[in-house]
Amino acid sequence: MAMKNIVLLALLLAFALLNAGCSSMGVEAWDRDVLAKAEMQLTTDPLEAATDDHIYFSKEASSGGRGFGGGGCGCN
Amino acid sequence: MSKESKKSISATLATATCALLGNAITQPVQAQEEPGWDFNTAFLYYGEDADRVQDLSISVLARRTFYDDKFLTLGLTVDSLTGATPNGGIHQSVAQTFTSASGNNVYTAPANTQPLDSEFLDTRVAVSGNWQQPLGRLSQFNVGLSASKEYDYLHLGVNAKLSRDFNQRNTTVSAGLAFSSDTIDAQDGAPMALTSMRDVGDLSNRIGEQDKDVVDFVLGVTQVISKNLLMQLNYSYSDSSGYLNDPYKIVSLVDAVTGDVVPRTPTPGVLGPSHEYVFEGRPDQRTKHSVYGQAKYYMGGKVLDASYRYMTDDWDIDSHTVDLRYRWPMGDSRYLEPHLRFYTQTDASFYQVGVVDGAPLPAFASNDYRLGNFDAITVGLKYGWTTKNSNEMSARLEFYQQSGSIPAEKQFGNQVGQVQYPDLNAIIFQFSYWFGR
Repeated sequence: MAMKNIVLLALLLAFALLNAGCSSMGVEAWDRDVLAKAEMQLTTDPLEAATDDHIYFSKEASSGGRGFGGGGCGCN
Repeated sequence: MSKESKKSISATLATATCALLGNAITQPVQAQEEPGWDFNTAFLYYGEDADRVQDLSISVLARRTFYDDKFLTLGLTVDSLTGATPNGGIHQSVAQTFTSASGNNVYTAPANTQPLDSEFLDTRVAVSGNWQQPLGRLSQFNVGLSASKEYDYLHLGVNAKLSRDFNQRNTTVSAGLAFSSDTIDAQDGAPMALTSMRDVGDLSNRIGEQDKDVVDFVLGVTQVISKNLLMQLNYSYSDSSGYLNDPYKIVSLVDAVTGDVVPRTPTPGVLGPSHEYVFEGRPDQRTKHSVYGQAKYYMGGKVLDASYRYMTDDWDIDSHTVDLRYRWPMGDSRYLEPHLRFYTQTDASFYQVGVVDGAPLPAFASNDYRLGNFDAITVGLKYGWTTKNSNEMSARLEFYQQSGSIPAEKQFGNQVGQVQYPDLNAIIFQFSYWFGR
């Protein structure tokens, strides 16, 4: 339970920091050529990501994080 | 700046920051695209050593682009699984015979080996559909359906996600919700938890079809830090309820002094188990919390993709995952991408090698290696290239290794030195082809 509280606290803190810092972070629209590149998207290959999520969901006790918890198979 | 390039940037940012949470089938988008279809296809081989699980899989993601940044994505995956999987029994100095999952036959594990159920054979078909569209100038909406069918398992799911840009589109906040309703229709009915493995033909402890519901909630923030750095932070909550057992896994009934599995004699004239085993039993509820952070950093053409996930649940499992990818361009149309992944988890509170004979049955017990205490590492290399007609191909080869240990307090008698965690080595090979873009 203590661990969960720590996680929640860390999360709240992270959100607070992000909110506080957001106004000073970031770039202007004309500086986004690099961020627009395909290789700079957070998920560059959705099929590969889905495959990995499925493999690790089947073989480990954790899932999700990047997105929903995965599942939809009798493998775990 | 031209009107067109402004539109392109807006489309890029809206989609770049929104294709992040929730559904893995959401495609990254590079710019405002012409209406039309594109296809992402993949062939996968996943193979474990020692004749354990082998999977051959083909997948297709077909995406239809519409005007105004609307997308329809349809997915299909077909898996063919064969091989053997640890059944939860422990090493013994004598051979052990088990009733098969169907309840209609027996199989024998040789002495001094990890008992494997070699009847594992399945075909899985999974389909998905996803619709994504803008809501006003700064928000996006995403809704999806998923379904999959195996011989003994049916999954039906819905999911939705809403995201909104702030701070000149440098910050995106997303919230996603998913619900899945699964049905476990184990061969001849799922066994009742912690009841003994019976002789062939005795189905008196089978309880028929079972259900499992999962609710997932994901809250995320994506932040542009600089023109070369993008970061994401997600919190995920997942609640599973219903039948969470693996209907084919067992736990050995062991002698309180020697730790050996208690011998058993089948009914005369009938085949049956040579020792006493009970079917595993897990709690019918599980709550997981995860925190996930990811950074993409561009370094003069090279891209570092680093992520970390912490997960904790009410089964006492804690895990840490670190994933690192480094994309290294070789000229304009080729790249190499090394991949490293580290994973570690603690065992579930009810993970145990055996159930002690004569003692009251525990409320829950499982010797499923996936609920054990282990570390895993993945090492891989991907090679990608763009073809003459601007399609993309890639091939990756990865090695996955799990090595675990059984906590000393969970072993006694002859189990010490004899019972081992079933380490796992696997190869992952995937070939992908994107075309139509």
